[in-house]
Amino acid sequence: MAFLEISHLQKSFGTNQVVKDFNLSIEKGEFVSFLGPSGCGKTTVLRMVAGFEVPTSGTISIDGQDVVNLKPNQRNIGMVFQAYALFPNMTVAQNVAFGLRVSKKSNAEIDATVTEMLDLIRLGHLSDRYPYQLSGGQQQRVALARALATKPQVLLLDEPLSALDAKIRVSLREEIRAIQQKLGITTVFVTHDQEEALSISDRIVVMSEGRAEQIGTPFDIYNRPASRFVASFVGTLNLLEGKVDDAKKGVIDLDGNRITLAQPLSGHKKGEMLALALRPEAVTIDPHKARDTAIEGTINDVHFLGSVIRTRVSLGKNSVSLDMFNNPGSPPPARGEKVRISFAAKDLLVLGE
Amino acid sequence: MKTQRIGAWIAFAIGAIYFLVPLIGTFEFSLRMRRGEYSFDAYRVVFSDPNFQATFGYSTILGLMTIVFGVLLVVPTAYWIRLRLPHLRPIVEFITLMPLVIPAIVIVFGYLRIYNSSSILPFTGSRRMTDLLLMFGYVTLSLPYMYRAVDTAMRAIDVRTLTEAAESLGAGWPTILFKVIFPNVLSGVLSGAFITFAIVIGEFTLASLLNRPAFGPYLQLVGANRAYEPSALAVISFAITWFSMALIQLVSRLNKFKVPSV
Repeated sequence: MAFLEISHLQKSFGTNQVVKDFNLSIEKGEFVSFLGPSGCGKTTVLRMVAGFEVPTSGTISIDGQDVVNLKPNQRNIGMVFQAYALFPNMTVAQNVAFGLRVSKKSNAEIDATVTEMLDLIRLGHLSDRYPYQLSGGQQQRVALARALATKPQVLLLDEPLSALDAKIRVSLREEIRAIQQKLGITTVFVTHDQEEALSISDRIVVMSEGRAEQIGTPFDIYNRPASRFVASFVGTLNLLEGKVDDAKKGVIDLDGNRITLAQPLSGHKKGEMLALALRPEAVTIDPHKARDTAIEGTINDVHFLGSVIRTRVSLGKNSVSLDMFNNPGSPPPARGEKVRISFAAKDLLVLGE
Repeated sequence: MKTQRIGAWIAFAIGAIYFLVPLIGTFEFSLRMRRGEYSFDAYRVVFSDPNFQATFGYSTILGLMTIVFGVLLVVPTAYWIRLRLPHLRPIVEFITLMPLVIPAIVIVFGYLRIYNSSSILPFTGSRRMTDLLLMFGYVTLSLPYMYRAVDTAMRAIDVRTLTEAAESLGAGWPTILFKVIFPNVLSGVLSGAFITFAIVIGEFTLASLLNRPAFGPYLQLVGANRAYEPSALAVISFAITWFSMALIQLVSRLNKFKVPSV
């Protein structure tokens, strides 16, 4: 049994079912992110693990113990909130010490742990400040230290970086990951930011409409999306429509071009329409970098973005977006110009529903 | 623009004159006890009157009891409504506004009918029990102010998230209420407390009809039988009210921590 086991979890608010048969096993020390758009149920699952919401059905167990019927204050869980939730009437040190005082630790132990935690987040010199005297990033680091001070079994992070500006978000997410790895604490991180999830997670759970659409490593999620939703939500993607030409050989017709895929199309019939996806970075119009599949197209749009030139090439019914690095030595392609795009057939993803 | 400003100053001046002239008149009259010269004789008489000391002391004690009971009733109620029962908010707001609509005399007649000495709950059967009934009455009268003051303070903090943060750190309800919520709504609680104190000190109807030796009935008694002392008492009453209001301002400014804006 995994350290944190969620089985057949369901949650309804009245007639609205927000979490549908959610299953997940998280190993001890693993960092798992819930990724999905607003309203997909990711925070509700997190809140059920924390004990703030009661599941309609299903079980949640931590280290072999069923916690569904335990109150939040009995679960030994650390939680960090989007809105920091530091106690305004307490100093930084008092905030960090709060959980330890509640569990009636000795003063010596409290002092030692508070010092250790503040050193961990590098804010020992601000221990006497009140929350309003700190920046957003500092407040969230204190919230992290407070959550870790009680040595919880599981750390839950509910969009902890959403309220921060872009630069702080990047540095703090790296800090969170480093602290998590140092302490080896099992962590669940909720975010709607794909870059955040991809950069710091051991595994990602992509959620949509209350379901886990796909669970996998960042590499798998990005490169082998299991559904159209995952493919479109994670990263930029070209969605194409082709027709099955020869299912056994994996041949498809893409705007009049016969393309042989890396694998046969089992379960598909000749003439059936097929949803395909292609990452922009898998496509090139540079003849020196030509790959095994090439298609003629016409340049529709050119956007100069500085270091990158984003180009849209029309293939007929379909069109493909691709990025090129800016080369000061050669001018960008012009609209209406005929080009030959190329990509590796293995990069063409066949999407499920 | 200039005309608008002049208009505003005129309106302010009229308001100030309307408020200050009677007050200055009362104060001036209270100094005329000694014939032909101004003196504080009326104040000296009032302060040396044993009835003044007894009734003021009685009302002060009752005021403090009202504050304690009111805070214990209102803070958990406002907290719970905000956290768990937000749909009941309009009903609770309506209930807390009732004392502004129902005159005190109606309330006290209701009390006398329900809690008289021959009823199941004979609150008026003894002095101490009547004092208790009077305190409940004062809590009712101060409810609109106390509830609003506390509720406004709670609006300034994220009650739900703070509660959940404390819960996730292992805290139970008493700890959350007294160590997390209460300190963060203290300015609201104190505002409500000072308003309550001002109400209790000046209240006449409940104390008079329950026949308790409070400051309000004493004010009325002196007013009916003396010339200069009632004016001195009116000025003293105003001073107590202003002192309470000044304390409200002081408390809200001296708060060493700030609650986050929501």
